[in-house]
Amino acid sequence: MLWYKAWLETRGRFLVSLCAISIIIAFFVHHAEHVITPEPKRETYFLLFFVHHYLAGLWILSVVLLGMGGLLRERAIGTSSLTLALPVSRTRVVGVQIALGILEAILLAVLPWSVILFTTDLAGRTFPASQAVFYILLLISGGLVYFALAVLISSLIEGEYTAPAVVYGLVVLSGIIFSSVDSLRPYADLWRFMGGDNYFNHVTYLLSGPFPWFGALTALVVAALMLLASVAVIQKREF
Amino acid sequence: MIDGPVIQTRSLTKSYGRLDAVRDLDLSVGANRITAFLGRNGAGKSTTIKLLLGMIHATSGDASVLGARIGESKESREMLRRVAYVAENKPLYPYMTVAQMIRFVSSFYPDWRPDAAERLMKEYELPADRKVKSLSKGMRTKLALLLAFARRPDLLILDEPSEGLDPVGIEHLLQHLVAQSADGISVFFSSHQIAEVERIADHVCILDKGRLLVDASLDDLRESYRRIDLVFPSIPLEHEFRMAGVERIETSGRQIRIFSSRNSRTVVQRAYELNAVSVEVTPVALRDIFLETVREN
Repeated sequence: MLWYKAWLETRGRFLVSLCAISIIIAFFVHHAEHVITPEPKRETYFLLFFVHHYLAGLWILSVVLLGMGGLLRERAIGTSSLTLALPVSRTRVVGVQIALGILEAILLAVLPWSVILFTTDLAGRTFPASQAVFYILLLISGGLVYFALAVLISSLIEGEYTAPAVVYGLVVLSGIIFSSVDSLRPYADLWRFMGGDNYFNHVTYLLSGPFPWFGALTALVVAALMLLASVAVIQKREF
Repeated sequence: MIDGPVIQTRSLTKSYGRLDAVRDLDLSVGANRITAFLGRNGAGKSTTIKLLLGMIHATSGDASVLGARIGESKESREMLRRVAYVAENKPLYPYMTVAQMIRFVSSFYPDWRPDAAERLMKEYELPADRKVKSLSKGMRTKLALLLAFARRPDLLILDEPSEGLDPVGIEHLLQHLVAQSADGISVFFSSHQIAEVERIADHVCILDKGRLLVDASLDDLRESYRRIDLVFPSIPLEHEFRMAGVERIETSGRQIRIFSSRNSRTVVQRAYELNAVSVEVTPVALRDIFLETVREN
C-alpha cells in the first residue's frame, strides 16, 4: 500500500507533466512537419534531434517535481508522524517513493517518444525505432541524475517551494559551468549527453556509434549515490 | 494480558542544544490500565511520545515499549505493529478520501477489525467518499481516532486525543477509552484537560520542563494530597512546618495555608503543638495538585 500512497501523492504531478510534454511535443512535431519542406527524410531526423532537446528540457522540469516530496515534505504538511507510526522502515518508505519516481520518469521519456513516433508516422514520415531507443536511453540514464538531485535536496531542505527552487538553480548553474568549461564538457555536460549532441552525426542527422554504456553507467552510479545519501539523511533525521 | 510495564524509560534525555526537552526521565507505565500524561505546553509530553515511537532520537538514556528497545529498527517495527498511535495534530493524508485512508492504514495491521471500522464510520457519520482535506477539524479527529480504535492493539498512545472534538465527541471518546481498557488494552494518553483525566485515568504522570514530577495512581494522589488551613493567635515561623511532604506554605495575617503531598497528619499535629485555634484539612482536586506541582517546579 506504500506504492498506492506514493502514487496518490505524485499522480497529479505525473499526469500533468505527461499530458503537457506529450501535447507540446506532438504539436511541435506536427507543426514543424508542415513548415519543413517535405523532402528528404534527413529533415525529419534533424527535426527530431531538436524535438528531443525540447523533450529533455521539459523532462528535467518534470522529474525535479517528481523527486520533490518524501518525509521532509510530509513533516511540513504535518503527516510525517502518521507515516512514521506505520510498522515499516524509513528506508522502505523512501525506497518506494524513489522507485515510483524512477518508474514515472521512465514513462515520461517513453510515452512522449511514442507520441513523437506516432505523430511522425501520421505525417507520413518514418524514423528508425532504434534511434528513438538511443534517445530514450540517453535521456533516462543521464537525466536520472537530476531526479536523484531533487530527491537529495528534498531530504535536506524543508519547504514546498524552497527545495524545487534550489534544485532548478543547481540544474541551471551546473549546466552553465559544465558547458562553459571546455575540459569538463565532454565528461560532465549532462545536457549534451542527454540530448545526444556528442553522438549526433552532422551528415546523416542520426545518432551514430555504439551506445555510450560507460557514460550512462557513470551517470547512473552518480544518481544512485545521491539516492543512497538521501536515504541515509532520512534515517538520521528527526521528525 | 501483558506482564510488566508497557513503557519503561531509564534516564531518557532529549536535548536541543542547551535546552533539555526531556530530562532524565524514569517512567514506568503499567499494563492494562489508563495512564494520563499531564503537563503544560512545552513540558515535553509530545517529545517523550515521539522518542518512544522512534520519530526522534534520544540524546542519552534508553527506553522500551512493549519490551522493544527504541532505536532498534527491527524491534521498533514489530512494536509499532502492536501500538495504535494518534498524534497531537491528527495527521491524515489530505489527498486521500476517508475510505482510502481506512484501506491504506488497515493494510499494515493484522489486528484490524473491519466490523469495528464500519461501526465507527456510522457512529462518527464519516462520509466515505469525501477527501480528507475537505473534512472539518472534528471529523478529522474522529477519523484519526477510528484508525486507532478499529484495531486490537496492545497499547494505545494518544496525544491530546480530545482536541477538536465537541462535548458529545469527547464523551464518546472517554467512554471508548474506558471500554478499551476494560478490554485489556493499555492506554497512555497526554492531555491538558484535567477533568477528562480525573474521570478516566487510573494512573497519572505529571511532566514539567522535561522532568517527571509525579508518577502515582489517581487514588493515591487523592489520598495523600491535602490542603491544610491553619489559624493561629500569633503567627509562627514558616520553618516550623518545613518537613517532608510539605510542598508549599502561604502565610496571610494569622493564617497559614499548607499544601502537602504526604504527612498531613504530622503537619496537623505540629499545628496543634503551636496552639493553632483552627485546623481545616481538605482533599485536593487533581487540578490543584497539577497547578501546585508545576508552580513549585
